[in-house]
Order: sequence, then structure tokens, then C-alpha cells
Amino acid sequence: MTTPLAAAEGLAAGRTGTRLASPSHLLRRLVRRPDGLIGLFVLVTFAVLAIIPDLIVGPLQTAITAEGPRLGAPSAVNLLGTDELGRDIVNLTVHATRISMVIGLLATIITVFIGAFLGIVSGYVGGRLDAALMRIADFFLVIPTFVLAIILTSIIRDLAGSGAREVFGIRFGLIAIVFVIGITSWSSTARIIRSQTLSLRERAFVDRARVIGAGGGHIMRRHILPNVINLIVANAVLVFAGAVLTETTLSFVGLGDPFQPSWGQLLDAAREVGAPSLGAWWYFVPPGLCIILVVFAFTLVGSALDDLLNPKRAPRR
Amino acid sequence: MRSNYLARRIGTAIFTIVLIVIVNFGLFRMMPGSPERVLSRNPNVTPELIAATRARWGLDKPVFPDQFVRYLAATVQGDLGFSFRGRPVVDILAQRIWPTVILFGLGELVAIVIGLALGAYSGWRRGGPIDYLGNGLSLILYSTPYFLIGMALLLVFATGLGWFPTYGMMTAGATHAGPIDALVDFLAHIALPLTAVSIGLIGQYAIVMRASVVETLSEDYVTTARAMGLSDGRILRHHALPNALLPTVTLIAINLGYIIAGAITVEIVFNWPGLGTLTVEALSARDYGILQGIFLLLSVAVVLANLVADLVYGLLDPRVRA
Repeated sequence: MTTPLAAAEGLAAGRTGTRLASPSHLLRRLVRRPDGLIGLFVLVTFAVLAIIPDLIVGPLQTAITAEGPRLGAPSAVNLLGTDELGRDIVNLTVHATRISMVIGLLATIITVFIGAFLGIVSGYVGGRLDAALMRIADFFLVIPTFVLAIILTSIIRDLAGSGAREVFGIRFGLIAIVFVIGITSWSSTARIIRSQTLSLRERAFVDRARVIGAGGGHIMRRHILPNVINLIVANAVLVFAGAVLTETTLSFVGLGDPFQPSWGQLLDAAREVGAPSLGAWWYFVPPGLCIILVVFAFTLVGSALDDLLNPKRAPRR
Repeated sequence: MRSNYLARRIGTAIFTIVLIVIVNFGLFRMMPGSPERVLSRNPNVTPELIAATRARWGLDKPVFPDQFVRYLAATVQGDLGFSFRGRPVVDILAQRIWPTVILFGLGELVAIVIGLALGAYSGWRRGGPIDYLGNGLSLILYSTPYFLIGMALLLVFATGLGWFPTYGMMTAGATHAGPIDALVDFLAHIALPLTAVSIGLIGQYAIVMRASVVETLSEDYVTTARAMGLSDGRILRHHALPNALLPTVTLIAINLGYIIAGAITVEIVFNWPGLGTLTVEALSARDYGILQGIFLLLSVAVVLANLVADLVYGLLDPRVRA
């Protein structure tokens, strides 16, 4: 789904000059900025939580293994209280990190892959194909893709069944969400990459390759792609933020999986037992804060990267 | 020139709406409960009704063109089929659209005024304390799902302080002494969801407006105005703001589809009887007819809003008409 920031980036990216900075060089410049450093620190912290949740809080508690009181307030045993089944909120929130982050990551990969592929092809080939692809991109940019995502997710689940099959340790019902996010949110990436490809296509080195006899596929792979890769990375970071938000919202309206709770699924569960009305803040504040922190960190890193790649954005006076 | 721009914009809008209808038809055929199967899940449905449904959608004929034409004809006439319970989808939508329009419309109004003002000031005083605070706050709000803001407000102001009711649009079963009384009851109920929607939107609008003002301020004509010795306030009001507003209008319109999605989740938190709660109800009942109706309604609304924004933009900025 397009976010306002992504659209703003899109407007800015049209004027981006190409600069070939190596990824390690980019990383070094990123950590020298306060916003880049803070963002990266938060992301690394959550990545650690996502990779080794078992080592930090033990295995995911279930209705059977839960030991705490029902909807208990924070105590010495349950630092952040318990849910309606007596499960420890710290345990749930840390385990939800993995689900939210993995879904976000997979959805980002699919989104950016579709967007970059269509963007490069559309920009390089041009003509009718370009016009048609961009019309479709605009379509997805404008319509409320969220409602479409809701319908698609439930249709895919009904058609394919949401059995116990797992991909990357994620149950199939959640994988459906990954695909739906990918299908519905590639268009802003495609637009950004396309506009960059359009300006690269006119460069001398592309002409040279063409004169030597290089085919379109070769030029796109070997000459265009390396020159847009930094832009793709910067965009991917923003796409990740959007993907986490979309997953959260889809789970919140009831498309999550109670057996593999993400942060959004925890929020949905909290709402269903009426946690805000019961004053049980400990149920929804921790997962809520995690979402805000992660999306905020991704947005910080994403816009810092965009600043670094975009000379026109540099402060001037 | 002018009529050309107009025709192109309207053409794009029609194209998009046609695409939406086609997608909706595709979903309609692809979905597991095609029209008759949805009905057959209901034990009260007679074989005659199923036969009537089959005839109605032309289900014995090929998908294209027969079924598609029938679907198109029905949609154009405002017939969106029936919900799982057998009520026409259009009736259900008509009943649930107003609470959403009121909540979303008012929220949008509040957010545009405050968000644009905050963004313009931040961009104008770039690097100042308001800019740092406002920009940081906007980015955090932008990272926050709308419903989370709603849950926090509910916890603090309804449960904790008891200032506002926790759910619904009116007190259930209450009899109001007069229209004033009813209005007060309504205002008490809308206060928190409205605040949640507005707060959620303000961050985005402020960010977009700030970026736009900052960019406008680096334009040559602003430098020229400065060199001419015009006062800061005059430059901002007469030179920078009008030009900075233009891209903001477009971005607001483009993002409308995204914003609606966020805003309707606020309804779920407060049990506000609009399209957001309807979406969740339809989803848990797997009532695809209603879901598709919501999709069609919101999509067409957003496309039309975009068309209006484009036309307004064309009116304000002669350059885009070329």
C-alpha cells in the first residue's frame, strides 16, 4: 500500500542524480547521521528479538502452558501482566516480533521485486507497454488497496485452505497476507524505479552498450540495475515500514493467526476482550509501542538513505 | 488546451472505474462462494431461490461475455447483489455510509486545518524548536496505526477519566428530551473517534506540507522576493504558501485510499456503526457480497475525489493544463 511518505519520495526521486556509492560506503555515511544511527540501533535490537525469542523469554506460551492469572496486572513474575488466558505479555510480545518482522520482510522482498522489475522494464522498453503498466500502477496507487487486500486474503485462504503447512516457519494463512501485500503495494516502487530508468536510458554508457550490440535484457541487468540498486534499497526500507503497518491493520480486522500471534493479532485480541475499557493497558501498550518504534525506525533510516542518495535534498541556505 | 486537460482527467477516471468494476467482477467469479454457493450455505434458502439466482446472474451461460454483461448492467443500475442474510447490499451500505462520512469528513477537516498550518510553520521556521518538535511528533504519529491512537484515547479519557462514553454513536436505548439533548449525546460519542482520526491524519499532512514549503522556499522567485526587500510574512503568504499548497492537494487526494483504510479501523475500536465495523462484521461472516460492495463504493469515491482534486489543481495552476 502506498504511504504518503513513499509518494513524497516518489516526487523527489524523479530528480535524483545517479551516484554510484557502494553499499558499505552508504552504510558508513548512514551511521554518521543521528537519525540513521538511532534508526539502525532500534532495528538491530528488534532483529535480535526476532531471531532468538526462545533464548530471551522461553518458548511461546499457549493456553495450556500459561501459568499467570487471567488478565493480571504487571507484577514481579509477569513484568507486563498477562492476557485473558494467563499468558505472559512479555513472552507474547517478543514472540510476535518474529512473526511481524518475518511477514514484513517477505512482503517487502516480493513488493520490491515486482516493483523494481516492472519499473525497469517499463522505463527501458517504453512505448505502449510503459503506458499500460503505469496505468495499472496508478490504479493500485489510487484505489483503497486495504479493502482489496482484505478480500484477496480471505479468498486465498478459502481457496487454498489455511491448514498447518508452513513456509519459513510461518503458517500458510499468514503467507497469504505476504502475497497480498506484495500484489497490492508494488506500484510506488515501480514508479520511482521507472523514473530513474528513464533518465539512465539516455546516458552515454547505455548508448555505447547498445551500439556494441547488447540486447535489452543485458542492458537492463548489467547497466540499469546496478545504477538503481541503491534507490531500490532506500525504497525497500520504506516499503518495510508500510508492510509492517499493513500486516498490523489486516491482523487487527481479524485476519491474523491466533496460533502465531503478530503484534497486530495481539492488538486484535486485546480489543476483543475489551482491554481498553477494562483498563488493561499492559495488554495493548507493549505490542503497540513495538509497532510504533519499528515503523518509526524504518522511516528514519529510509528518509536518511533518501537524503544521502538525493543531492537536491541536502540542506542549503 | 483547457478542454483537453479536462477530457484527459475524466478519461483517466472513467478508465480507473472500469478497471475497478472488472476487478470486482473477477473477484466475484474467483471467490469460493460464487453467488449461488453463498446462498446454498443458508439453510432457509429454497431451490427456487437458487434457480432464480442462477438465472439472475446468468450462471448457466459462459463467464464472458454473458455473465459479465449481466454483472455490468446490474452494477450500473446500483444492484450490488445480496448479502449472506439475503438483504440487498445497497441497502446495507446506504445505512452504514453516513456514520463514516460524518466521522471521516469532520476528521479530515480538522486534520487539514491543523496539519497544514503546523506543516507550513515548521517548514517556514526550519530548524526551529517548533519544527523539531512538530516534525518528530508528526513522524511518530505517522508510524502509529490509527486504531492504536483510538485505543489509547479510549483507555485514558473514557475508561480512566470517564469523560466520554466508550462505544456507539448514541447512548443505546436512551430517549432524548429534544434535538439539543440528542446532539449533546452524539457529540459526546463522536469526540474520541474524531480526535483519533484527526490526530492520525495530522502527522501525514504536516509532513507533506512541510516538505512542500521547504522546497518552495528554495525556488528562485522566493529569493527574488527576498532581494526585493519584501517582509518575511508577505513572502510566506503571497509567494510560498499558494505554490506549496498545490502539490499538497494532489498528495492528499492520491493518499485518500490509504487514509480511508486507516480511518475505518478507528470505528472498530469505538464500535462506531460505519463502514469500518461493517467490514469486520462481513469479514467474520465471510460475506463477500458486502465486502465487494464496500470495495466498489470506496474505490469509486476515491477516484471521484481524485478527479475533483485534479480539476481544482488545473484551475489553480495553469502549467499543468498544457
